[in-house]
Amino acid sequence: MDFSTLPIIPITLGTLAVGTVLTFASGRWARWVALATSVVFLLEIGLMFLGYTGWPGRSSTLVPQFGEYQSYPWISLSWLQINFTVGIDGISLILILLTGFLQIATVVYTWNETKRPAAWFGLVLMTCLGSFGVFVSLDILLFFLFWEAVLVPMFFIIGYWGGPNRRYAALKFFVYTHVASIVMLIGLLALVFYSGASSFDFSSIYSAARGLTGIVPVVLFLSLFFGFGVKFPIVPFHTWLPDAHVEAPTGGSVLLAGLLLKLGGYGLIRWAVIILPTTLTQVDPILFFVAFLSIVWGAVLSLSQRDLKRMIAYSSINHMGIVLLAISLNSALGLTAAVLLMFAHGVVSALLFMGAGTFHHTYGTRDIPSVGGINSRTPILASLIMIGSLASLGLPALISFPAEFAALLATWDGLTYLVLIPLIGLVVTAAFYIWMMQRVLFGPPKGIPSDAHDVPPAEGLGMGMLAALAVIFGVLPFLLVNVITMSPITGWHG
Amino acid sequence: MDLSILFGWAFLVPLLPALAFVIIGIWGQRLGRLEHGGWIAVLLSGAAMVLGVLIAVGEMLSPNSYTDVSYTWFHVSASGPFANGVSFVVGTLVDPISALMLIVVTVVGFLVMLYSVGYMHHDEGLPRYYALLSLFLTAMLGVVLADNLLEFFLFWELVGVCSYFLIGFYWRKPSASSAAKEAFLVTRIGDVMFLLGIFIYFSVYAMTGPNGGWAANGFLFVHGSTSFIPIGASGNSTLLTVAGLMLLGGAAGKSAQFPLDVWLPDAMEGPTTVSALIHAATMVAAGVYLLVVGSIFLGGYTSIVLFAIVAVGGFTTFYAATMAVVNTDIKRVIAYSTISQLGYMVLAVGAGFALVGLYHLFTHAFFKALLFLAAGAIIHTIVTQDLFRMGGLAKKMRYTSIAFLIGALALSGIPPFAGFWSKDDVLASVYSQLGAHPEYWPFFILAFVTVFLTAYYIFRVYFLAFSGERTRDASLPEAHEVPWVMLVPMMVLAGFAVVAGLFVFVPSFGSLFTGVPGLATNVPPSYGPTDLVLSAISVTLAGAGIVLAWVLWGNGRVYELPAGSPAHSIRNLLLARYHVKAAYDWVGMVGMYTVARAADFFDRFVIDGAVKGFERSFRSMSDSMRRIQTGLVSDYAAYVVAGIIAVFVLLLFVAPYLASVFGGG
Repeated sequence: MDFSTLPIIPITLGTLAVGTVLTFASGRWARWVALATSVVFLLEIGLMFLGYTGWPGRSSTLVPQFGEYQSYPWISLSWLQINFTVGIDGISLILILLTGFLQIATVVYTWNETKRPAAWFGLVLMTCLGSFGVFVSLDILLFFLFWEAVLVPMFFIIGYWGGPNRRYAALKFFVYTHVASIVMLIGLLALVFYSGASSFDFSSIYSAARGLTGIVPVVLFLSLFFGFGVKFPIVPFHTWLPDAHVEAPTGGSVLLAGLLLKLGGYGLIRWAVIILPTTLTQVDPILFFVAFLSIVWGAVLSLSQRDLKRMIAYSSINHMGIVLLAISLNSALGLTAAVLLMFAHGVVSALLFMGAGTFHHTYGTRDIPSVGGINSRTPILASLIMIGSLASLGLPALISFPAEFAALLATWDGLTYLVLIPLIGLVVTAAFYIWMMQRVLFGPPKGIPSDAHDVPPAEGLGMGMLAALAVIFGVLPFLLVNVITMSPITGWHG
Repeated sequence: MDLSILFGWAFLVPLLPALAFVIIGIWGQRLGRLEHGGWIAVLLSGAAMVLGVLIAVGEMLSPNSYTDVSYTWFHVSASGPFANGVSFVVGTLVDPISALMLIVVTVVGFLVMLYSVGYMHHDEGLPRYYALLSLFLTAMLGVVLADNLLEFFLFWELVGVCSYFLIGFYWRKPSASSAAKEAFLVTRIGDVMFLLGIFIYFSVYAMTGPNGGWAANGFLFVHGSTSFIPIGASGNSTLLTVAGLMLLGGAAGKSAQFPLDVWLPDAMEGPTTVSALIHAATMVAAGVYLLVVGSIFLGGYTSIVLFAIVAVGGFTTFYAATMAVVNTDIKRVIAYSTISQLGYMVLAVGAGFALVGLYHLFTHAFFKALLFLAAGAIIHTIVTQDLFRMGGLAKKMRYTSIAFLIGALALSGIPPFAGFWSKDDVLASVYSQLGAHPEYWPFFILAFVTVFLTAYYIFRVYFLAFSGERTRDASLPEAHEVPWVMLVPMMVLAGFAVVAGLFVFVPSFGSLFTGVPGLATNVPPSYGPTDLVLSAISVTLAGAGIVLAWVLWGNGRVYELPAGSPAHSIRNLLLARYHVKAAYDWVGMVGMYTVARAADFFDRFVIDGAVKGFERSFRSMSDSMRRIQTGLVSDYAAYVVAGIIAVFVLLLFVAPYLASVFGGG
């Protein structure tokens, strides 16, 4: 059977939407419906891989850059055409894969959620649906709808299932990202009207934007950069992230760090870098500066945190700073590394946040100095936190290593000695993870309640899945890299 | 029989211990009868040893052959200066130097594994121990067989993390977990420098070489039977000077050279077997091996880098030996001696004789492993590491005392033991360069003086532990000879410590050291008149050291410094390790952490404070806006529609006007 003829993306959107609605409606069976939806989603991702026409020897007739591409007329006005256009290339395929993995891992990890489980699993699925939509949308309006659709469930996840200060954190998250969204939307709409594109479609904007000259593309690029950058998050617009993570429930943190931050990176690549590559080379000093600032600030701040979750949150800022740096380099090596690093960070930060969550309800606190030697009571939890930490600090044979290596090589290639900034960041990253491990995992037992048990099965399975992914793709990175480089990344520039 | 058919199977050598890692890691707890996987680790590392040695013999029988087998790990399509894309490959390269290292790593690895079965018998966490030790071997064999820089770095990092876990093996002890952290972070500084060096080499040579350049070929060391980058290619390029210095930084981290040496003495927190492996065959050997690889496959070093290598090596040799002179912990003395001996190897590489450095690495591996295992035997029976509580052990532990004596003689450089040949070769190599490079003189003298110090401190240990009538501390358990699983490895290593230096006079073995065209070598040693004079002086110095040790510490004597002697302050400085460690702790723990706390304060109260201030001003503004909050959905819908209309108006009418002003689209 030739899977490439199947309109797989609309089908997937449909099944995810149906699954989400059913989950909301199915009461105590919600988790099973959510699990079934996740499995179906993964199977559909498998079909996307099978039918991906970006493979050598196959070609799609509509837009050659996209392996899967479907476009249906949606809103027709005399002066503007808005289509329901979806498509994937290697970049989006990798991030869709990440969405699928994180969805099932989150559902499994939170299997025993007791506080309004139907709503919980429904919101988890809705977040993933929105992310999937963002990754496949090739029409501005569609993209924006999905983009906003992610915010709503995350707002409720933080605001309802979160910690003591959840209302403040949820509101802060919502306001920050919403202001950024508006700037982004204005940027995107302006892009259409200034370039004179005939429709909201990516392809028409892509070709029309070549004609833009002068100050306009610069302003457009910077507004898009701000819009997507807050999601990264970039320093100094990052303070929503630690608050959101600290207050968010574990599942919320997983989706926030694993998926939502990737939306910013993806958006920047898809709608700014690919469309306005020459503008990028005009404004890249700004991007480099922000990236370096985020790298250093994230690493140094992580070192000073006492709260385990805050520490991981700041390390996300550091890692996403490297992603931004790699994107800004505007080279095939850099872009490939950026996408790979986003996948790696998605898996690893999700694993770490799960570890921090289990740690929290096992030991009743997330305060690093007040608990020690947990390896003697909960060796499995300790091992999982260890794998996550080592992966995050870039140990070979785990997933971040090839990505960081390629990103830093690309940085040397583009910026020579400035690569020292992220390199020093690597030392600091190692320092805070290793120090945390020394204090929390090793040493004599301290602050351990008598009823502390090792990881519950569901949580262990969720974390185990992610740890396995970190190892598999760390040893065999070509499984991902080959897909990313199938996108004619260099073609976008040519 | 043609052993070269095995070259393509070299990947099995690291894979066999990796298999042990997986088996023990998964089923170790259920393998109680097999010493919790200990025997599986022995078996598979033994198999790796057989294969490794056969491959090495094959390389000796077909001299100067380079056999490379590689696979693409991942490939990124063309970009920027990488005209044909960037390939990242993994593979194995069998060449003279990797053949030599295969012998060292597999033989010492196997013997340590065997010894562990006896030594670790009573310990907890044996599955973890054997799994990690096997992985440690795998990682080091990966470094040895790596055929490109990325793979080299990959396994190099794995070596680092394995040593992290093994040093922190007794993780309940705060000192052990602290030492593990220190080892990881200090070597990480070196690793990051190494990484920068790699990037520079990548970009300099990306386009150079056959088949579209180095990048397209996965940065392989060799192409066909020649080095991808010819020896001497570095010339005097500034960029390559930086790259070479960074490589030196990486090597200094792993090989514990000044100023990145602080972690190695503290690494004694791990089991003694781990120390034996780290100090002889893995980890610290990786740094020197990197410098050798750089000399052969990365175009050699520029003159500034060579001088830096000489300076670091020569200084470290002396610096570490002085600290060994006063230490009272048997393992720490041997640890300082490792740093000092590594200094000799580094010195030789800097003088342009990379293969002489490798020769010393080869002989040192055997006698250093021997010394550690013999020290381990003592610790195993009398459960102390304090030299001043020991004494008279020669009577109770005859074989161990002989083993230690052989190791001590080899370390001191007494002929015909192994250390003599290689250490004198190092000194002769440096001496031969003094004419052209008078700036090497101070380091040559330091290295020469160290010969005396070395003999003194190791025989101080020997006499304190073994000579005399009885143990100084009567409360210690009764000493007894150790079981055969521990004695056999020591005996084998003692055999190597006697004869390993002479191997190079066997032509086929010696061909490993003459197999690299264009690289200066004087292995096997030539022994002209100058060399004989040098040897005579160094043996005299070593003999003097032994005599002094006997006078001060022999036969149960304990030498006390006279009260009020100025030597006390020197002794205290040496015991405080020149305050280098304190400086590290201060910079790392106090300095960095204070900066981080200050940054955290800034983040909370300035950045986030601005946000909150902004928010407050909005809140007061919103009070006046509250009147439109009717709570009716239809009103809100109207606002939304109005908002969208406003956006469109903005875009349709205002935007084109701005565009015409700015001359855009």
